[in-house]
Amino acid sequence: MWERMTQDVNVDDDTARRFLEEMLRIDIFEEETKERFGDGEIPGFVHLSGGHEGSHVGMGAAMRDEDWLAVGGARLIGQYIAKGVPLPEIMAELYGRVDGSNRGHGGQMHVADVDRKLYGHAATIGSGQNPAVGLALAEKVKGTDNVAVTTIGDGGTSRGSFHTALVFAAYWDLPVVFVIENNQWAISTPAESLSPDSLSDYGDPHNMATESVDGSDVEEVYRAVSDAIERARNGEGPSVIESRVVRLVPHFEGDKETYRDEAEYERLKEEKDPIENYRERLLENDVLTEGEIEDMVANIQDEVSEAVEFARESPEPEPEAAYEHVYRTPLYGQGE
Amino acid sequence: MTREITYVEAIAEALDEELSRDDDVILFGEDVEEFGGNFGETEGLYEKHGRDRVRNTPLSEIGIAGMALGAAVGGIRPVAELQFADFAATAGDEVFNQIPKQPYVSGGRLEAPLTIFAPSGAGIGAGAQHSQSVHSWLGNVPGWVVVTATTPYDAKGLFKSAIRDDNPVFFLPHKMLSETKGEVPDEEYTLPLGEAVVEEDGEDVTVVATQLMFHRAKEAAAEVDADVEIVNPRTFAPLDTETIAESVRKTGRLVVVDETVERYGTQGYIANEIVENEFFSFDAPPKTIGVKDVPIPLSPPLEQEVLPSADRIAAGIESLF
Ligand SMILES: Cc1ncc(C[n+]2csc(CCOP(=O)(O)OP(=O)(O)O)c2C)c(N)n1
Ligand SMILES: [Mg+2]
Repeated sequence: MWERMTQDVNVDDDTARRFLEEMLRIDIFEEETKERFGDGEIPGFVHLSGGHEGSHVGMGAAMRDEDWLAVGGARLIGQYIAKGVPLPEIMAELYGRVDGSNRGHGGQMHVADVDRKLYGHAATIGSGQNPAVGLALAEKVKGTDNVAVTTIGDGGTSRGSFHTALVFAAYWDLPVVFVIENNQWAISTPAESLSPDSLSDYGDPHNMATESVDGSDVEEVYRAVSDAIERARNGEGPSVIESRVVRLVPHFEGDKETYRDEAEYERLKEEKDPIENYRERLLENDVLTEGEIEDMVANIQDEVSEAVEFARESPEPEPEAAYEHVYRTPLYGQGE
Repeated sequence: MTREITYVEAIAEALDEELSRDDDVILFGEDVEEFGGNFGETEGLYEKHGRDRVRNTPLSEIGIAGMALGAAVGGIRPVAELQFADFAATAGDEVFNQIPKQPYVSGGRLEAPLTIFAPSGAGIGAGAQHSQSVHSWLGNVPGWVVVTATTPYDAKGLFKSAIRDDNPVFFLPHKMLSETKGEVPDEEYTLPLGEAVVEEDGEDVTVVATQLMFHRAKEAAAEVDADVEIVNPRTFAPLDTETIAESVRKTGRLVVVDETVERYGTQGYIANEIVENEFFSFDAPPKTIGVKDVPIPLSPPLEQEVLPSADRIAAGIESLF
């Protein structure tokens, strides 16, 4: 079912190093998150991105800072990192602290950083796509050539809201790139039982450009999303990309994954880990040495430790802060 | 100086003026272009402002509301119409889970200065899915500013403020009032959001009413042997309880009439707010009047049966003496 991945490196050395470094940053940050969650330091749910790192990094690298990302699916932390949200702000938000990206009002599922053009997640799966269409409309009205990229999981594509967003984006040829991260599972429901051959086929009735790529290969995702963004910038309208990834982690921490075939799971871990695969490619092609990678890892570990320290030291919100940010007051004309 | 216009003209004027005033304002919804909206509320706007500013959308409230949210976060000021207020539910996730919550969960970093407007209310024989008053649904979700309009003066002034406000605002005109006439100032004006207004002064009893119920409360006031003060809340969420409380401190009696369903409706909430805080001002128990706990039926005699009539309001007022 899964083709073997390429052994080539088709980007310049700097870009290749950046790809590996960014994937490692996601991985190391999330490993630490898992530990901190296990120790009871992080409230709520924790969904990790293991297996999606290549997809997140390739997509993030294809975007300009001015392009919007409306995140979806349940693999979010990797996307926040790929959009450039600083690690301490993410970690403090996971901890629910005042220095978190959203002052603890959001948490793991709701990191929103409009200054970096990260639209907050619609934690109801599949509700981020129509807002992405609106973000693209706003850019168009303002006369920029910025685009909106929006992600969704295979599970989310069954919602009507996703299909409505395709209708609306196509209706005005808006600059939207729909990225479907098909990791084969919506919790325990297999994507295999959905009828399209590729989930990107959902763009076909709208005459959109579509492509299905090996999402475990950071370079493939980078290329496909770059092409789609270029089309969108040039006024050629929306695209749908299926990024075929594997979920190498439980749905959320605590999921016992009783629904997965163990032998298949082991094989996927062996063959489709985007980081391990890319590491080997860069070593084989002499882009990096083992020593350089070790240094890279050590530096990221320091960054992540600092992020944890930052989160731990950040104060808990005062309870009264729960009443802030419901309304911008005074309302228009109120009290005048 | 003032002039007389209809309620629906007031809505169209508000849209026209705000589209002219601010390039960031764009209007979209189903059939808002040449067709001009089901009640004529967008007539002439497309011809004047063009298709970039006034856009027909495909038939999906999820698309309309979701796109409005993204457009607002993206820095423009969308005004989106749903053809009937009942269809707030068709865009349920957008209306209840996304729009009112995104500014909050972002910790205030994200702003959603959008307006959704939708004709609400019963009385035209439109049946169970085109007749509801939904400000109780919306008021139950913190984050929405929920505004109703009672007269042409209200409709124009409040709608303009709704468009200018930086919060998500749900603006609810009443379809039965579309052709009613009233005075509006010749010069530009806006009306404050979040403030109730005493429309009729009286000494004996406070009646809280808006939209069609305001007009029926006025009829009722003329029927009863009591000096009735009528307070129009205008904004249902967040509610200006102080103006109502001040009135009750004077009159000692309270009737809340609204076209939302009585069960878990606005009437109980408003009465409770005043009773809890002003208990010792009351000379009689508060009275709440709303739509009976049934869907809105089609046949006119059935429809009128479940809507509060002027007689029912009058009986409610008299029951307090
Ligand atoms: C509308 C909605 N339904 C159900 C859920 C519960 N839920 C959270 S994640 C998930 C599975 C999502 O699968 P997919 O879209 O493939 O994303 P993935 O988890 O694989 O990243 C479900 C059912 C939800 N959050 N929102
Ligand atoms: Mg999935």
